[in-house]
Amino acid sequence: MADMRVKEPKGVELRHISKIYKDPKTGKDFYAVHDVDLTIVPGSFVTLLGPSGCGKTTTLRMIAGFESPDEGDIFLGGESINALTPNKRDTAMVFQSYALFPHYNVFDNVAYGLRLRKVPKDEIQRRVKEILALVELSGMEQRMTNQLSGGQQQRVALARALVVEPGVLLFDEPLSNLDAKLRVQMRTEIRRIQQALGITAIYVTHDQSEAMSISDNIILMKGGVIAQMGTPTEIYYHPNSEFVADFIGECNFLKGPISAASVGEAAVNIVGVDVPVATDKSVKVGDPGEIVVRPEAIAIADEGMLPCKVELSCFMGSYQNYHVRVGDTLVKITDNCPINKKIFAVGDDAYISFDKVCAHLL
Amino acid sequence: MQSAARRKSSVDLSLLWKVFGGILFAYLFLGFMLLPCLSTLTSIFTTKDAAGHTDPLAVVRFFFAGNMPTFVINSLKLAVCLVITVNVVGISIVLLTEYFDIKGAKILRLGYMTTLIYSGVALVTGYQFLYDGNGMLTQWLVKMFPMMNKQWFSGFRAVLFTMTFACTSNHALFLRNAIRGIDYNTVEAARNLGAKPFKVLWKVVMPTLLPTLFSLTVMTFITGLCAMSAPTLLGYNSINPEIVRLAGSSVADEAFPQARAALLSIILALFTIVLLTTLNHYERKGHYLSVSKTKAKLVKQKIQNPVWNVIAHIYAYVLFIIYMTPVVMIVLFAFQNWPAVRAKSLNVGDWTLINFFGTQDYSYTTSRGKQKLRQGVISGVFSNSDTVGGIRLSFVLSALAAALACVIVVVAVNYIFKHRNKKRAAIVEACLLFPWLLPTILICYSFRTFFNGEVWYVLGKNMYYRENVRFLIVMAYTVVKLPFALRMVKAAFYAIDDELEDAARNLGASSLVTFLRVKLPIVLPSVLAVFALNFNALFTEYDMSATFHSSYGKSYAMVIQSMTAEEGRDGYNMNGSGRRCASTVFIMLVSGLILYLVYGVGARDLGERLERRKKWKRRWARLTGKKAASA
Repeated sequence: MADMRVKEPKGVELRHISKIYKDPKTGKDFYAVHDVDLTIVPGSFVTLLGPSGCGKTTTLRMIAGFESPDEGDIFLGGESINALTPNKRDTAMVFQSYALFPHYNVFDNVAYGLRLRKVPKDEIQRRVKEILALVELSGMEQRMTNQLSGGQQQRVALARALVVEPGVLLFDEPLSNLDAKLRVQMRTEIRRIQQALGITAIYVTHDQSEAMSISDNIILMKGGVIAQMGTPTEIYYHPNSEFVADFIGECNFLKGPISAASVGEAAVNIVGVDVPVATDKSVKVGDPGEIVVRPEAIAIADEGMLPCKVELSCFMGSYQNYHVRVGDTLVKITDNCPINKKIFAVGDDAYISFDKVCAHLL
Repeated sequence: MQSAARRKSSVDLSLLWKVFGGILFAYLFLGFMLLPCLSTLTSIFTTKDAAGHTDPLAVVRFFFAGNMPTFVINSLKLAVCLVITVNVVGISIVLLTEYFDIKGAKILRLGYMTTLIYSGVALVTGYQFLYDGNGMLTQWLVKMFPMMNKQWFSGFRAVLFTMTFACTSNHALFLRNAIRGIDYNTVEAARNLGAKPFKVLWKVVMPTLLPTLFSLTVMTFITGLCAMSAPTLLGYNSINPEIVRLAGSSVADEAFPQARAALLSIILALFTIVLLTTLNHYERKGHYLSVSKTKAKLVKQKIQNPVWNVIAHIYAYVLFIIYMTPVVMIVLFAFQNWPAVRAKSLNVGDWTLINFFGTQDYSYTTSRGKQKLRQGVISGVFSNSDTVGGIRLSFVLSALAAALACVIVVVAVNYIFKHRNKKRAAIVEACLLFPWLLPTILICYSFRTFFNGEVWYVLGKNMYYRENVRFLIVMAYTVVKLPFALRMVKAAFYAIDDELEDAARNLGASSLVTFLRVKLPIVLPSVLAVFALNFNALFTEYDMSATFHSSYGKSYAMVIQSMTAEEGRDGYNMNGSGRRCASTVFIMLVSGLILYLVYGVGARDLGERLERRKKWKRRWARLTGKKAASA
């Protein structure tokens, strides 16, 4: 499969790109994307993640050439592509709606890009056959697109983009029209094919679990700017802001003044208890501090670090879900495999504790 | 370097195309829409009096001094009466076939919908043939009601009667769709809350139909105001026939004929603009859309009261007879020989195809007692040179105009969608909708007078002269059909997923290739439907044909009209009525075929079409397999 690809993957560089739109209500200009600067290495799978309106799709569309940046430059394989129209760029996109041509069958849809590139007929036949085999659609060449299931349509869209051997493959929320089960299956497929072909892929989604499972790197965006870039692990365990922490998975925030500070470690006073936490930041005693800790990193027991009162106790099968009150703060706890553990009821007094390496000081 | 140069040249080329397109569009809009109509408007105020002085108010004074207001009042009277009668009949036929449980509703519906294929000048002449003083139906009626006036079918009554049944097609299409859109649960809810059947109809069903009814009422009013073929052929002094008469008159015959015609057409335009603005304003308020996510299909209501049930059935079938009798009679008479048609009596022994094909000689005795023979004067539709000429001319002109309207609109809509939310797109759209605001007669009259002289931007030629008039007819047909084509094609473009265009561009297609190979194939079925519907409407179109009527522009509708002339004297216009009936059959077949292709075949979705294709292929394979086996 991997020998199908003959072209080298290309890297993408965005140099201080911005996109300005006019607000239709106020008539004022606003930045949809502001000063985005990043480098995507060849062959990597990068996800642009963020809530609606954060500028991720606009960024992707600027790379594809459907939007032109008002400021900054875009480089593909080291060459500036700002002035190139979409049809002249070495990219291929998989669209949210799949955008399959309804008047063509599967074969013609996939062969469309090759025909435009004036590839000889027999080579078109060979390449389309190979790519359909790769996406497991062999034998469906003559079917019309409305005779395919959602997952099959998705595969045709992927095959159509892959067959032209683009330098960069772009995905604009390609799984959002599929049901949950198929979504998981397809994202594994996409990752498998990307790794097999070694192609550079840029993927847009607002689904953090999708981003975590599929990406080499995640670029989290908010309000048109990059909030944080990094590997899924970095972003999950070391969020640099409350927004990032909250957007990626569930999170608890415990606030209090810094009570102790040394190299690589600090303590935050929460309801009168000094809670140790690992940090690479330089902080001073008396500064306001905020600990970020994931629900699954917290343990609940009769004894522990911080006293709390149970407000919700709910059995979820593989885990027990707790909401407890620590001072004025509501803390969520995911207690995995509760079968051999004590189950606390609503109104019980308990203690919570967590390892300092599992917590993070913002 | 090379690629940069190529890019620059492609940018230059696209700019060149844009400039060329812009100039062409401006030329067409200014030259064939705005300038002729403005010229008509200004002509009212630049009229010269007897002394040769320009007197801006001369025509207006003359208007009030002469009999001109009569035409306006007559048209208004017709429009108002038509609104009442068309709504009464239109609402009845829809309720009888869609809402109430009337036996034989499917057959009744077919009968009520015959006006979709039997309309225009064919319908008017057909009604005239059957209902005039010697008409077969009038004679039947007189036998049944001896006190009845034999000449009842003339003037206002005839026009109103004919147009009432001719104008219910819109009700049959749009009101039917509206009533089918009602959520039956609302009817059940009302019944459940204690409402009686009539109360449900009046308070629950009818209010939801009001927006559609309002639109239909406005359209009917405009139709009545701008009526042309029925008043002309049945003799009623309304605005449109008068405009056409004045347009052909000269100052030697009467005062200010052209300016009076212009004034009448402007009055008509003002009425139309006011009504359409009102309609537009009303439509913007929105329709009542069912919010139900599980809409229940309407179940037909049985009329519980036996007396009312019988009355409703009688009423339904009387209407059916009124709709169907002319159609059946015209079809039957189309196959009768000349003497039978002339005597307006049906006879099984007089069956013939002469009204369609072939010729026959006609011998007669002159007033001096001499026997004369005229060769081939009894001829069929497809053997009579005049009729064939009219069909051919109408076919070519209608096809050209329908195609031109489609091309202009497809290119324009593509531009509008590419630049949506921009002023230039709104301007292009407004330009194409411009003819919608104006009555057809104003556009045609403007064309006829404006181009009846040397006009510099059409190579200094007189376009109303000899064969040039055909170009003028094509342009007028095109202009008049632009708004309809725009609305339909725009709706088709809305169905295109924006991402399809992006996908094509992303895969390497240029704008032109994307348009030709992705967007056009998707909208093509709708474009072809628009072409077919426009062609169908233009093929037997009367209003414009009458305005441009000349020996070089004698369309099929005018040929049909000429068949109503007196028959048989000295062998002139032999079997005119028979040929007219045959023409009507031919028109019904053409219209029926087009409507079937558009609403029957065209309405099937892609999956259904593929299924049918597969089925036919299987049948074909079976058939050829069997043949091969038997061979």
